[in-house]
Amino acid sequence: MTADFKRGELERLGKRGSYRLGQLRAQGIRQPGPPAPFKPRFVRPERGLPLSGWLLLLAAGVVLIVAGAVLGWWFMPFVVGLVLGLMNWIGGWPVRVAVPAVLLVALCGWAVPLVWSLLHGQPERIIAREIAAFGGFSGHSAFGFGVTILIAMVQAVVGYWLGRAVTPLPTDDLTAQLPTPASA
Amino acid sequence: MIETDASNEDDTAWDGVPPPTRRRRRRRRLFRVSNAALALIASACVLGLLGVGFTVVPALGPALVPGHGAWTSAAGAALPVSQTLAVPGLSKPVTVSFTKQGLASINASTDYDAYLALGYVHARFRLTQLDIERRLAEGRLAQLAGPRAVGSDKFELRLGLMRTAQREWAQMPKSSPAAQAHVAYAAGVNDWLAQLRANKQWPTVFSLTGVYPANWTPVDSLAVQGAFTQELDFTTTPLDYALLERSLGVQRTMDWFPVLPPNQQSPYDLGPYRRQGLAPLSGVQLAAENRGGGQPRSGQNNPPVLTAAISAGLARASSVVLAQARSLPTGQIYSYPASNAWAANGPKVAGGGAMLGGDPHVLQTLPSVWYEVALTAPGLAVSGVSVPGLPGVMIGHNAHIAWSLTDTQSQATLFYSEQTAKNRPGQYFWRGQWRRMQVLHYAIGVRGHSNVPFAVDETVHGPVLTEAGQTVAVDWMGALGSPAIATMISVDRASNFGEFKAALAGWKSPALNFVYADDRGNIGAISAGYYPQVSHGSPWLPLSGTGADDVTGVIPYAAVPQVYDPPSHVIASANQRPVRGSYPYYIGTSADIFDPGYRADAEKAFLTKKYSMGPAKFATLQNDVGDQLASVIVPRLMAALKGTKLTPLQKQAQQALSSWNRQMDVSSSGASIWWTFWKSYLSAVFNPWWTAAKVPVHLDRSGLSVGPSQFSLDEDLEAWTVGDQQNAAFSPPGGSQRNADEVMRLAFASAVSQLAAKLGGGPGQWAWGKLHTRQFPSLTAGSALGYGPRAAGGDPWTVNAAEGGLNSKVGPSWRMIVSFTGPGRLPVAVGVYPGGQSENPASPWYTNMIGLWWTGQYLALPATGAAGVLRLPADRVAASSSGGSSGGNKGGSGGKGGSSSSSSGVGGSGKAGSLASPAVPTVEWELRP
Repeated sequence: MTADFKRGELERLGKRGSYRLGQLRAQGIRQPGPPAPFKPRFVRPERGLPLSGWLLLLAAGVVLIVAGAVLGWWFMPFVVGLVLGLMNWIGGWPVRVAVPAVLLVALCGWAVPLVWSLLHGQPERIIAREIAAFGGFSGHSAFGFGVTILIAMVQAVVGYWLGRAVTPLPTDDLTAQLPTPASA
Repeated sequence: MIETDASNEDDTAWDGVPPPTRRRRRRRRLFRVSNAALALIASACVLGLLGVGFTVVPALGPALVPGHGAWTSAAGAALPVSQTLAVPGLSKPVTVSFTKQGLASINASTDYDAYLALGYVHARFRLTQLDIERRLAEGRLAQLAGPRAVGSDKFELRLGLMRTAQREWAQMPKSSPAAQAHVAYAAGVNDWLAQLRANKQWPTVFSLTGVYPANWTPVDSLAVQGAFTQELDFTTTPLDYALLERSLGVQRTMDWFPVLPPNQQSPYDLGPYRRQGLAPLSGVQLAAENRGGGQPRSGQNNPPVLTAAISAGLARASSVVLAQARSLPTGQIYSYPASNAWAANGPKVAGGGAMLGGDPHVLQTLPSVWYEVALTAPGLAVSGVSVPGLPGVMIGHNAHIAWSLTDTQSQATLFYSEQTAKNRPGQYFWRGQWRRMQVLHYAIGVRGHSNVPFAVDETVHGPVLTEAGQTVAVDWMGALGSPAIATMISVDRASNFGEFKAALAGWKSPALNFVYADDRGNIGAISAGYYPQVSHGSPWLPLSGTGADDVTGVIPYAAVPQVYDPPSHVIASANQRPVRGSYPYYIGTSADIFDPGYRADAEKAFLTKKYSMGPAKFATLQNDVGDQLASVIVPRLMAALKGTKLTPLQKQAQQALSSWNRQMDVSSSGASIWWTFWKSYLSAVFNPWWTAAKVPVHLDRSGLSVGPSQFSLDEDLEAWTVGDQQNAAFSPPGGSQRNADEVMRLAFASAVSQLAAKLGGGPGQWAWGKLHTRQFPSLTAGSALGYGPRAAGGDPWTVNAAEGGLNSKVGPSWRMIVSFTGPGRLPVAVGVYPGGQSENPASPWYTNMIGLWWTGQYLALPATGAAGVLRLPADRVAASSSGGSSGGNKGGSGGKGGSSSSSSGVGGSGKAGSLASPAVPTVEWELRP
C-alpha cells in the first residue's frame, strides 16, 4: 500500500459514496491492473532460491552424506540435516514438506553406497542378514538394511529439528507482493 | 500457512488496554526456547547413543555406516587369491595352498613355521570362533555377549579352565616342542590380528559390539583345549543319581541305572584283563599332600555300597548345580554320546591292508568345530582335521598311520559333599582337620554394564560349585590339565603302533578311544586317559569330602582298555562300554554315559559279515541309518499284536511296521511308527513310577526324564522285553499287574493315536522326515545364519547318528576313511564335514560342503608333500565317478534345497568303487618373513 492510498481511505471514512466502485481513478487512486491468470506456485517468490536451487541443495546433501560414508563419518546425516534446518531461515518451508525431504536425503545418502556395493558383487545382503541376526531379528536382510538406513534418517531429522529450532522464523510480508499504485 | 511476524503489528493500544498479541508473543518466545532446548537434548542423545552406545547397545553409528564397520566384513568373505603375504615371525617362506573347496595345505621348512602358518590360517578363516571359544573357556564371554553370558562365565570361573591353563603353561618347559608349537601358533594368530587392526576389516560381531579381540597367547590355546575337554567329559551324573535315589529309592535306582548294562553289548576289548594296581595322579591341581593314600579298591564288580539316604541338603545342592549346568549353552558340558571309529585289516580289506573309518559326533555348528588342513615340514606330513585354537592335527593320517577317536564315556567327574560347620565359616573338614578353603576373587566384565564381583572357593578336591543346602565340590579330571598338544605332535609323527601307543601314554583328559590303522596292515585301539579310582564310597554318587572317599589313583596305562590286531580283524568303537563286565576297574555306570551299544552292534555286524572291503563300503556304513534296537524289538511287538483286535488305522500301522526294513529313512513311515512306539513304551513303563516317586525331572531333563535319551532305561526295557517279560516294572505302582506284551499293545495304540493327531491321515502321511530334522546352528547367531532345520533320516542309535532330540544338532561332525594298501604306499584318504572352511556367512566356503556330507559323498583330504600335490602312484589316481568338484549345496543356509551337485570323492550308497581324485590346489599363498 502506498501512503497516498492510506490517507485517501482515512479521509473517505464515513463519507457518502466512500465505497463507490470503479471510481478510484477519479479519486486519484491508482486502479489495479487486470487480474493476472492464476499460476499455482510451489515456491513462494520470497523463498530465497528457486525450486531448482533447492533441489540442487538437496542433491548436494546426498553427495555430502555419501562422501561422509566413504570417509567413515557416520555423523554426516546429522550435519546435513542441521544445515538444512538452518537454511529454513531462508526457505521457510513448512514441516510437512521439509521433513520428508530431509528423510529422503538421508535415505539416499546411505542407500547409494550400499546399492553400489551390491551392484559390484559385494555380499552386502548376507552382511545385512548378519546384522539383523545379531540384533535379534530373524536374519532377513531387510532388517539389516532397514536398521542402517533408519540410523541415517533419525540423525538427519534430529539435525534438521535442531537447525530449524535455533534459526529465526523467516519474514512473510504479503503486501509486498501486491502492486503499488506507482507500479501498476 | 503463512507465518507472520508479530513484531510487524502495531502494538499500540488504541484504548489503553494491552493487546492480546503481547501475550501471544511471550508464549511464542517460550515455545521457541523450549523447542530449541529439546532439539539440543535430542541431538545429544542421538549422537551419544550412536557414537558411544548405551549399556548393551553398541555404538551403531561407526558400526553401521556403509563401507565401514560391520559392512567391511565383506572383505573377509572374499576367497583367497594367489599372492605373496608378509607374515612376521617366519624363519623361511611357507607355501599355503587351497583347493576349490577351501581345504588348506601348509608346506614349511620348520615345525615352528608350520604351526605359525596354521595359526595364521585359523585366524584368517575362524577368528570369531577362536575368540568366542577362548572367552567361553576363560569366563570372559559376557564381555562380548553381555549379561546373558554371566551364568556361563560364573560356571567356567568356578570350574577353573583358565586356572588350569595358566598352571599348565607355567609348568611347561618353554624349549619343549609343545611350548614352541604354542608360541608359534600364537604368533601366527597375532600376525593376522595385526593386519586387521591396520585395515579394520573385522568380522561382523566385533564391529557390531565394539569389542575387539586381544592378542592370542599360549594360555588361550590351553584354555580352548580345556573347553574341548569339558565338552567331551564333564558330566553331572552323580547329582542325577543323588536325586534319583532320593525319589525312587536306592534299590530301584541301582536296579534301573546299574553299573553294568543289562543288555548284550559288543565291547572292543574282550580281555583277558589283569589288575595292575593303580597309577598315581599327576597334574597342575595337585599339592603333595592332597592325593594318594588309602588302599585301592579290589575290583569294580563288588556289590554297590548302599550309602546312607541322600539328605535334603545334598538334594538341594544337586538341584542348584544342575540349574547352573542347565543355564549353559548347548554342548558346553557333555550331554550326548558321540562318535564312531572302526578299523579292519587282513581278509576284511581289499588288498589285505588295513582301513580305518572315523566320524566323531559333536555339536554341529557353523562354522564347524573342525578345520581341515595338511601340515608338511621336515619329519612331519600329516593331513586331517585340526581344532581352531590348537596347533596340530587332531584326527587324520600321515604316510604310515591313520587314527580317529571316540569318547570313552567313562566317568571323569566326581562330586564331594564337604563337611562344614556354621561356626567355622570358610572351612571344611578333611583328614581329621579343619582346613580353610582357598578363596579366589574375580570381576566378571559385562558389556555395557559394570563388573560383577565373583568369588570362588576351592577345597582340596576342587572348586566348590554350591553351598546351598550342602557344600559340594567337584573333582574333575580335566582340571589336572593334559599334554594334548605334546601328544598330538608325537602322534602326527608316529609310524607304527608302538610309537602311537607311546605318544598317548601321557594323555589324561578327556579319556578317548583312539582307533588306529597302519600301512603294514595292523589295526589297534587304546582308551587313553585318566580313570579315577576310589577306595571307598560309590563314585556314581556324591562322595564324602572328609577324605575316605578321595581318589586314590588311576588305572595304569598298561591296564586301560586296548586291543591290537584282534583275530576277528575288526575293531569297532561307538562309545559303548569298551570292556566286559569282568574288567577289574571302575570306569563308570550305564548312566555315565556309555552308549547302549546299538551302533556298535550294527558296526560289528556289518564288518563281521563283509570281506575285501574298500572305502566305499566304509562310506556305506558311515551313512547307514539302520536301527539295531528296532531289529530286536519290532518282531516282539508284532508277536504281541498278533491276534489282537485293532482299529483299521492300527491295522494299517501294523502292516507298515511289519514291512518296514528297519531303516530310519526320511521317507519311512515305519520309522515314525517305531520311534513313537518306543517313546510311548518307555513312558508307559516308567512314567507311572516317576510320577509316584515325584522324580524332579524339571531339574535336569536330559539326566532325569523318561525318554529314548535315558540310555539306562533303553537298555533295561530291551533286556526285559527280550528276557524278562514279567518284570515288576511293567506293573505300575498301585495298578494292575501287566507284562511286556500288554504294555507294548498299549504303547502301540498310543503311538498310532499320536501320529494320527500330529500328522493326520494314515501311515502314508507319516514320513519320518515330518517328525525328524537336522539343524546346524550358527555359532554366533543361532538359527538365523545356520543351516536347517531340514528333514533328515537317522536317530541316536543309527551309525549315521542324529542326537539331541527330534531336531538334531549333534551328529557326525567329520567323516573320514583312510585305506592303506601296503608299506611305502601312500594311503587313499577321504573326508567331509557339514560346513565350510570359512566362518563368514558371506563366503562361498561357509556351507559349501554340507551338500556333500548330506548325500554321503567325500573329498580327498588335503595333500601333504612338496608343491601341495598329492604324491600317489599313477595307478591309484582314478577318475572320480562324477565330474566337477563344486561341492556346493543348493539348499544354502536355508536348508531347503535338495541334493547337492556332484563332487569328486567317494560316494555313499550307489557310488561304490570310486576313488577320490587328488585334492588339487587352485590358490597358493607365499608367506614370507
